[in-house]
Amino acid sequence: MASVTITNVWKYYGKTVAVKDLNITCEDGEFVSVLGPSGCGKSSTLRMLAGLEHISAGDIYFGNTRVNDLEPKDRDIAMVFENYALYPHKTVYENMANPLRLRGESDDLIKKRIAFASEMLEIEHLLQRKPMELSGGQKQRTAIGRAIVREPKLFLFDEPIAHLDAKLRARMRGELKLMQRRLGTTMIYVTHDQLEAMSMADRIAVMHNGVLQQFGTPQDIYNHPVNEWVAGFVGEPPMNFIDCDLVDEGGRLHAVHSSFKVALTDAQTKILHDSLREKSVRMGIRPDQISIKAGTESGVDGRIKLTEPLGGDTLVNVDLKGADELLVKTNPDFNGGIDQACTLTFDTSRWHFFSKETGVAYF
Amino acid sequence: MASRDVVTYKTPLSRLRDVAIVIFLAFYLVWTIMPIFLMFVSSFKDLLAAFQLPPVGAFSKIGLFFDFTPTTKHYYNLFYNLGFSTYLLNSIAAAGGSALVSVVLGSMAAYSLSRVDFRGKADLFFWIISTRMAPVVAVLVPLYAIFRGFDLVGTRTGLILAYTTFNLPFAIWILKGFFDNVPFAIEEASMVDGSTRFQAFRAILPLVAPGIGAFLVLCVLFAWNDFLFASIIGSGGAKTLPPATRELVQPQNIQWGSIMAAGVVTTVPMMFLGLLIRRYLVTGLTMGAVRE
Repeated sequence: MASVTITNVWKYYGKTVAVKDLNITCEDGEFVSVLGPSGCGKSSTLRMLAGLEHISAGDIYFGNTRVNDLEPKDRDIAMVFENYALYPHKTVYENMANPLRLRGESDDLIKKRIAFASEMLEIEHLLQRKPMELSGGQKQRTAIGRAIVREPKLFLFDEPIAHLDAKLRARMRGELKLMQRRLGTTMIYVTHDQLEAMSMADRIAVMHNGVLQQFGTPQDIYNHPVNEWVAGFVGEPPMNFIDCDLVDEGGRLHAVHSSFKVALTDAQTKILHDSLREKSVRMGIRPDQISIKAGTESGVDGRIKLTEPLGGDTLVNVDLKGADELLVKTNPDFNGGIDQACTLTFDTSRWHFFSKETGVAYF
Repeated sequence: MASRDVVTYKTPLSRLRDVAIVIFLAFYLVWTIMPIFLMFVSSFKDLLAAFQLPPVGAFSKIGLFFDFTPTTKHYYNLFYNLGFSTYLLNSIAAAGGSALVSVVLGSMAAYSLSRVDFRGKADLFFWIISTRMAPVVAVLVPLYAIFRGFDLVGTRTGLILAYTTFNLPFAIWILKGFFDNVPFAIEEASMVDGSTRFQAFRAILPLVAPGIGAFLVLCVLFAWNDFLFASIIGSGGAKTLPPATRELVQPQNIQWGSIMAAGVVTTVPMMFLGLLIRRYLVTGLTMGAVRE
């Protein structure tokens, strides 16, 4: 077990910058997910941790050891690759035994460890098969098994379940989380799927264009995104953004849009008074923080553009007066039809405001 | 997955085509097998029996070909009087040796070219291939001069070196294609598992086995069948089968029986090698060439 400290790490490929001045500290035994779209530098970060990629600048520490110049084999890590990277000519058993054999462990120990790992992953019956004869999920379990038997200081997972079908992915999320809790090994898990990151990690590092945007607990990132980009990337369905003007009426700020005018809370007014530099801001609100009713009542008027029943929830696209559109998540007994009028009410205290210029969140 | 079976219906034209194909194949078979068959049969015949031919067009007398008492005297002559066992050994040593050296050096070079980026890599690769562009004849004279300078003419080492000169670029070229097709992740996994770069290289060698197999055969074939190098670089101390066979043609006395026997001795090992490794050869050659 070990903590991981990444300090001021940069990664260049020629002149392109893949990772910019990254700082992450991961506690011993913690499950940290690195989240971001493709090309955000998350895989480069993981590969630098593994020692497969040269660190252009900065330092990486495992515990108190600086690992910059250590070969992958000397870092005591285990990695699971996106495409599993099993040895195609070896059986599942031999695949899992490989890291132990390379370390010259005894056959007894190898047998014991594989028995433990294969039982945990439910692949005991597959041990004599070759990777070609396995399904995607079984291959992935084998790859994870190969990582577990090592009992390493650190797990590095590079989108291990990205290629599985949706149902299996949902199951594996739970299993992986459980496995990590049981083993207590520090884990760094790279993914582009915000759902995976949210559901599994203790803390999430959100990356975009090689820059760390936010590093915090899933709740923190969901409820208090530091900027518009993080707010839009995390959460499914994504957050709604609309531009509002801010108008001061008797010491209280009001958000004014062509279709509504809503008073902000005291706390919000205070924060904006202290830090606001613009007259117009970008307002963000999550689809599940808007309530909707069919027909015209007191509230914000809208027109239903589209409804998508998902079974447990129904998504409603609402046209506001003007050009803006809001996505609302409501319960399945919502009965509005397309092109009918509807009324929206907002929970003002859950609103987010972002600078239109920089995208940085006011709150 | 969709079925690939396509229903076809017979038309008069397609029947005609089927018949034409059979006829063509029959002719082709005779055309290809006949010389080898004659060589085989003649190597077991007396000189007199070997020249007993039925008149042209008399197919009923075709049995004449088989009307003989088999004799192994040509083979006896070859191995006991003409020293063909040495030549056979020379051939095996030259072909096997150069194949082995080429495959060891070639796979390491191909791996580096496939995996490591360095300045001038494309130029280096082109230079390696370009050494194969000149015909052998063009470089033979300077090569001979160099080999004589190093006292390598007429030695097995010299012959192995000469064949390696020509096989190595070929090995690098073929094997690089195979290494390119092996995902990086497998050796990266191996390195994370705890192996050194060289162990990781060895870990993925089984994945390029078809390529290595295919290359070994081509390499052995090239060296085994070669006449030019063998007669010039190998002449004297390291004579291989082809030049040795050539020497059986003497101005006064063409030893047909022994020539035929020598032909059999030369051909049979390669035929078995081909059979043995046939599957590898086909998948090998296409796997390297076609990127999936």
